[in-house]
Amino acid sequence: MSLRINPDLFSTLLPALGQDRQRVNTALAQISSGLRVTSLSDDPFAVAGLVLNQTESDTAAQFTQSIASVQARLQTADSSLNSIVQALNRAISLGIQGANGTLSDTERQQLANEVGTIKQQVVDLANTAFQGKYIYAGTAVTTQPYVLDSTSPSGVRYVGNNSVNNVQVGQSEFVPINAPGSTIFNGSGADVFQALHDLVAGLQSGTGIPAANAELSAAFSNVNLQRTFYGNTLDRLSAANLNLSQEKVTLTQQKTDLVGADLARAATDLAQSETTLNASLAAFGRISQNSLFNFLK
Amino acid sequence: MGSLFGSLNVALQSLLANQAALEITSNNVANANTPGFSRQRPVLTEQPPVQIGSLLFGTGVSLSQVQSVRDQVLELRIQQETQHSGQLDSQVSGLDQIQALFNETQGVGLQSALSKFFNSLQSLSTDPTNLTLRQNVLNAGQQLADAFHQASTGLTRIKSGIDQTVPQTVSQVNQLASEIADLNAKIASSQGSGQEPGAFVDQRNEAIRQLSNLVNVSVIDAKDGTVTLTTGNGSALVVGNQTFGLQTQVIGGVQHVLDAQGTDITTGITGGTLGGTIQVRDQSVPSFLSSLDQLASSLTTAFNTQHAAGFDLNGAAGGNFFNPTTTAANFGVAITDPKKVAASSDGTAGNNGNALALAALQNQNIVGGQTVTAFYANLISTIGSQASDAKNQQQAEDSVLQQLTNQRNAVSRVSLDEEAANLVQYQRAYDAAARVFSVINDLTDVTINLGK
Repeated sequence: MSLRINPDLFSTLLPALGQDRQRVNTALAQISSGLRVTSLSDDPFAVAGLVLNQTESDTAAQFTQSIASVQARLQTADSSLNSIVQALNRAISLGIQGANGTLSDTERQQLANEVGTIKQQVVDLANTAFQGKYIYAGTAVTTQPYVLDSTSPSGVRYVGNNSVNNVQVGQSEFVPINAPGSTIFNGSGADVFQALHDLVAGLQSGTGIPAANAELSAAFSNVNLQRTFYGNTLDRLSAANLNLSQEKVTLTQQKTDLVGADLARAATDLAQSETTLNASLAAFGRISQNSLFNFLK
Repeated sequence: MGSLFGSLNVALQSLLANQAALEITSNNVANANTPGFSRQRPVLTEQPPVQIGSLLFGTGVSLSQVQSVRDQVLELRIQQETQHSGQLDSQVSGLDQIQALFNETQGVGLQSALSKFFNSLQSLSTDPTNLTLRQNVLNAGQQLADAFHQASTGLTRIKSGIDQTVPQTVSQVNQLASEIADLNAKIASSQGSGQEPGAFVDQRNEAIRQLSNLVNVSVIDAKDGTVTLTTGNGSALVVGNQTFGLQTQVIGGVQHVLDAQGTDITTGITGGTLGGTIQVRDQSVPSFLSSLDQLASSLTTAFNTQHAAGFDLNGAAGGNFFNPTTTAANFGVAITDPKKVAASSDGTAGNNGNALALAALQNQNIVGGQTVTAFYANLISTIGSQASDAKNQQQAEDSVLQQLTNQRNAVSRVSLDEEAANLVQYQRAYDAAARVFSVINDLTDVTINLGK
């Protein structure tokens, strides 16, 4: 018997037709979804990479949020310190006035009263709260840090702690978000409340005013020095924000590289596979439906 | 000197033979599209000659055999490849269901919940006494538990779904086996009486092919024309006209396949859809579930340990944050009071040290020497790879099967052109024989009336 061919043309052509349709569908799906990978089996390693990429993106978004909430608190602290600095400035000029030996007792008493008021003002400002939490209390934020205590030499006692909280704003970047009141206002030899207390006493008694003035100056310098913490930290946070923006751009690009569809390529694939499909369909239609039976009389 | 009556007989033989050939042709045409049908050929043989005087005269033609044209080796190959194809089909189907549970390209899976949970701790670290932020941590923990449950329950459901198909498939197997046994009997008796059992063999081949799609079988030809089918580790399925049906029994919560003697042959079922189903049910799903459980368990342990090292809002040491568990199905948050989240590392309410430490667990190697994210990414990459491998194999297998089928068709399938040509051929021969008969008949008439 000579070589016989498969008489069933349809069984060979139908699967090919099915594949042509599959290619068209795949190209269409890529274009409409913008994704080259729509299931794990399309590219298992790309999806694994996607998990890591997406996690990094989520973390970057969180850091941005953390920065925003910390910035708000730091700005509040900075502005309350600004008020304190202004108040201390006023106290210093009052002290200088009081050092003038030509003042009368009454005049000195008036100065003493004003300094006393300033002291209370500073206590109140040192007890500033942000969203109900005391910002100068270290980490004991639920308790007012400065209380009036007649047994204390300055009449004011610090009941907060010396702890600092850090917050993460980058992969290995942590930023301290508070400065304890003790560091700012109760430096050794630079205690704001002691200085103010001593100035009031000096103005009232008429002696020891220059010493009190010197104390106040030292305390004032310390406050200014500690204040730079806030400016510096806010700068660090801005820089961190910038890095995060850049990182987000990189991560988005990486995500597209992993699972995004190359639209130009997908469009070309679509055109090509549609052409192939139409050609197959046309060829199919032209398959001779005739057999010898049609020609036998 | 011939014999007129001899010639009449020869013409008659021709008429009968060609008429039979026409019947065979007509049968081929009718069955042109019957699956498994092999075209049949009439085998025309010359009748033995007779000696009259010193001359040998032929005595005509007879249709000695109706021969089915088939290549039994090809049939066997197709049956074997069909086993592999059936297995891959059910594997792909199972793995597709599984991979849908973790389709992170559509946001389905654990990544989002894991990130959200650790990020809630970062948020808490910015303001540790904030009750809303604390509640958010509990909520995020609960969402993570929900994600674990969904994945775990999903896997269990898939397993039980495919498990339920086992008895159905086994009963289909038994039905086909008994059909084959019947056909064996018919074939044996036809062969016994010297006939070619063409149609029965076709039907039996087709039944074996369908059976191969369901389960792995070995086909052994016996001398009497019957086939012996064995499956599993050699358990008999069909011997001659007897069926040894398979049974199912629930052992350890899943359907096991037993042979007719009651031996458990589940591990021997490696082909057909049954083999694929058993593989997905007994190997793929348990392996993935075990990895998921490992993730849940390790996370629970590491997190609880760090949580216990911290202090809650009331200054008390941290208790269990997650319910101690070893499975993803039982993963859950043990705390309901937001004050009990141990964010502090020194007992002060406003300290965030432990919140930071808890958040840092996300980047520590706490699961099988990997971070939770890396472990999870590896798990889904494994699932995807298995699915992708199975699909590739399936495609390759389809191609092989297609090729074999084409070859088989080339040998056995009815060609309408061929049958049309044969029709003409036999018709002409019939016409001619009828004409011969007519002529001889006239001559006979003349001869009889010779002496008149």
